[in-house]
Amino acid sequence: MLSDLLYRLRALFRRKSMEAELDEELRAHVARQVEKYIQSGLTREEAARRARLEFGGLEQVKEECRDARGVNFIQTLVQDVRYGLRMLAKNPAFTAVAVLTLALGIGANTAIFTLVNAVMLKSLPVANPQELYRVGNDDNCCVIGGFQGNWGIYSYSLYQQFRDHTPEFSQMAAFQGGLGDLSVRRGGASRPAEAYAGEFVSGNYFTMFGVSASAGRLIAPADDRPGAPPVAVMSYRAWQQHFGFDPSVIGATFIINTMPFTVAGIAPPGFFGDTLRSDPPDFWLSLSTEPALNGQYSVLNHADMHWLYIIGRLKPGAQPASVQSELTAEVQHWQGAQPDLTAQNRSELGKQHIVLAPAGGGVARRLQTDSATGLRLLMAISGLVLLIACANIANLMLARGAARRTETAIRTALGAPRRRLIRQMLTESILLAVLGGAAGLLVAWSGARAILQIAFRGASYVPISPNPSLPVLGFAFAVSLVTGIIFGVAPAWVASRCDPAEALRGAGRSTHDRSSLPRKSLVVLQVALSEVLLIGAGLLTQTLRNLENQKFGFETQGRIIARVDPTLAGYKPEQLHALYQQLRQRLTQIPGVLSAAYSLYSPMQDENWSTDIPIEGRPFDEWDNASFDRVSPRYFETIGTRLMRGRVITEEDTPASPQVAVINQTFARKYLPNQDPIGKHLGFLKPSEFEIVGVVEDAKYMDARGPAYPTFFLPFLQKAKDPKLYWLERSQYMGDIELRVAGRPENLNAEVRRTLADIDPNLTVLDMKSLSEQVAQNFNQERLVARLTELFGALALVLACVGLYGVTAYSVARRTNEIGIRMALGADRKSVLALVLRGALGLIVLGLAIGIPAALAGGRVLASLLYGVKAWDLLTLGLGAVALAICALVAAFVPARRGTKVDPIIALRYE
Amino acid sequence: MSNERIDLPQGTLDLLILKTAALEPQHGWAISERIQQISSEVLRIQQGSLYPALHRLERRGWIKAKWGASENNRRAKYYELTKSGRKQLEAEETAWRKLIAAVGQVLETA
Repeated sequence: MLSDLLYRLRALFRRKSMEAELDEELRAHVARQVEKYIQSGLTREEAARRARLEFGGLEQVKEECRDARGVNFIQTLVQDVRYGLRMLAKNPAFTAVAVLTLALGIGANTAIFTLVNAVMLKSLPVANPQELYRVGNDDNCCVIGGFQGNWGIYSYSLYQQFRDHTPEFSQMAAFQGGLGDLSVRRGGASRPAEAYAGEFVSGNYFTMFGVSASAGRLIAPADDRPGAPPVAVMSYRAWQQHFGFDPSVIGATFIINTMPFTVAGIAPPGFFGDTLRSDPPDFWLSLSTEPALNGQYSVLNHADMHWLYIIGRLKPGAQPASVQSELTAEVQHWQGAQPDLTAQNRSELGKQHIVLAPAGGGVARRLQTDSATGLRLLMAISGLVLLIACANIANLMLARGAARRTETAIRTALGAPRRRLIRQMLTESILLAVLGGAAGLLVAWSGARAILQIAFRGASYVPISPNPSLPVLGFAFAVSLVTGIIFGVAPAWVASRCDPAEALRGAGRSTHDRSSLPRKSLVVLQVALSEVLLIGAGLLTQTLRNLENQKFGFETQGRIIARVDPTLAGYKPEQLHALYQQLRQRLTQIPGVLSAAYSLYSPMQDENWSTDIPIEGRPFDEWDNASFDRVSPRYFETIGTRLMRGRVITEEDTPASPQVAVINQTFARKYLPNQDPIGKHLGFLKPSEFEIVGVVEDAKYMDARGPAYPTFFLPFLQKAKDPKLYWLERSQYMGDIELRVAGRPENLNAEVRRTLADIDPNLTVLDMKSLSEQVAQNFNQERLVARLTELFGALALVLACVGLYGVTAYSVARRTNEIGIRMALGADRKSVLALVLRGALGLIVLGLAIGIPAALAGGRVLASLLYGVKAWDLLTLGLGAVALAICALVAAFVPARRGTKVDPIIALRYE
Repeated sequence: MSNERIDLPQGTLDLLILKTAALEPQHGWAISERIQQISSEVLRIQQGSLYPALHRLERRGWIKAKWGASENNRRAKYYELTKSGRKQLEAEETAWRKLIAAVGQVLETA
């Protein structure tokens, strides 16, 4: 294949010398033949005559030789491309409209493909990613205990077991399931600590991925031993953005969460770790430093605390299926050997299993699975837009084909075979599509940037580049080719079927128009597809609006959420009381702050603590599960959740006072139905630990689409007495500060930061935003899909209108004569207008008749994405149809009115 | 031109060219002469189709061409078999023999 191509290319570029050689070769042959005949006794003339006769036409043989060499194919192509370019240059308006339409259509598809490529197809930037496998495919996070069924996250002890007993892996590395917040400042620097993302990784993490440092060295197994000096690896991006490639960073001491680390080196550029996500780690720390860094909340040495993901490199030839069953056996064996197994645990032991998942693309996390639906939908929608664009250009080409009928007729009359005509027309349309594709790359580049911004709102960095990569360029080119063929085939076919005699006799005079049926069908198709898109856009936009403006059970306006973590500043549990006392007092003093509160976590922050919950007077059922949060006095008032019964948590609820809880309505309805919940008790282990003192309104904390979870709220610093509840200690640390403010929340950001730094300069603000922004970031994907569908819907509408305008204008032009006669016979303008509009209206109605059922069918596909609106929402259907009909009628009205302005005398003389 | 001469069946020209060029590099005229001689003048080669065939075989990489001096010191384009050409020749020869045998069998028994 390749040698064939090279041969053809050489044939093309060395055309002159090859032509000369061919000529010489054939002449030599004839000369030899002549000599032979002379030797056999013929005269020179007779010999020459016979030899030439036998040989046949020299030029004909040459042409056949060229064909055999494949030179002709390329030559014809060059000829067609040149001719095509000339034709396009001759019609700049047509070319501009077509290229622009294509650029939008192809650009939209390419932009979305850029994302699809990055999110779903691309491998991690590491050595031989196809050898990587993840032990487990579940994305449980971040620290969990007990059985998992389908395992995905492991304790350090379990990781060691796998690492040392699974010889099919050449390397097996462990790393933290969820990233941790780090509060980092350079040793000796006077600047306050800044927030970074960090990840604990095993010593062989970088070796396993096969990446090497861009400066200094990476973490090595020797660093991951108890007692080894603590070292950290900084990401290339952090080095660039925060330290300006300062070489003295390498080897320098950094204070991370109050503990000194040496920065050993910088990770390679482009390396974002094990998972494609927004805001990937800025620092990697070895697992062995976890106990010192997390202190009493360390999980490293708890065999029953699962917090590590595992990725390994399989040795060549190892069978994933057999490794998978081996790992499953190992996890069952390990779990069976654990102390404290209940009878129920033992019965479930056989169900514990591990799936070995390819991890060349990294840990398949929510970014992939979540966005897969959205991206697929967007691919489908942008495909529809491209189809509409194709229909539009096919229409333009048909119109042009009709105008070029004389030209085609002459070429046919002169003997051009039909194949050749079709090929020429197709070359032209593919040329147009490739031009459009090139322009589309620009659209794609800026489009992909915009999409990334909407899709990852709230992220400061996303490791996805909007720049077209090789696969993206290939995709754009392939789409252009296919597009060119799709919109080029019909016009080429129609043009090639023209009867030269008829065309030459009365070019443009006959009322019979071959291209009118396909042109009308294309407009009907456009109207139908636009209707589908418009209705889809309407449904998705309403979904977004319903989600954002629903009753959350708290107020989104005029609230600020500041994320802090006192553990990062080294607070001990006994120091918390003083901090909390000061905190509310100082924050409330800021002018503009109406009330201040803090909690373990705030609503719609993608955080959730949940537990089994024994309840007084209710037989224990291990499926009784509730979320819980710790909240400060005035918390509910600050976020705007109403009290329904009893009282809220107040200043009186101190560590020394009776232990109390406030529940939400769903909790009361689900677990304490038909009774007064006030005065009842609940607990983590025994149904007697906390007394219920109040019921608050339901508020959504995790899932915006579902109902509120049953939830109970506890005051801070009331301690659990049972030592089994040591893990609960961590919940005494606040995670969020909530402020109810007057005026724009953003205006107070600086003042809040200053006040917090004043209270304790080590109390790093990890993040600060308004509650409405925090809520909005939950709907990034819905917003992306809705905005793009709106954009595409508008684009489709414009294209359909242009198409209808074109068809109507064309038909008016063709019927000028007829209109003139009608008017001469007494028809008035109104009836002529009606005549033309009736034709257009027919197309619109037909398009809607196809489009609405198609939209209904499409709505069923969308159904799972919709919220608060039905797929057969009559209002949306009606509005979509009316909007389209009005726009389309206006588009048809303009040329129709021009038709009525025809002067009958001129019209009759026309042609 | 004697009446016993027959035209080549479709597709056999390539085989004959390959076979002829397999012995030693030959130029086009020599190839056609040789085929006629060896076949006792029975096979007649349309000279017009010889050259397109040669160029096609060259494009497929079965033969390669070189300019050299001919017997009477004239420049001539010599064609010789390539490695893949030899393989192709073997394959075509086998196929041809099978065909002949099969056709012969049918003719004798049917």
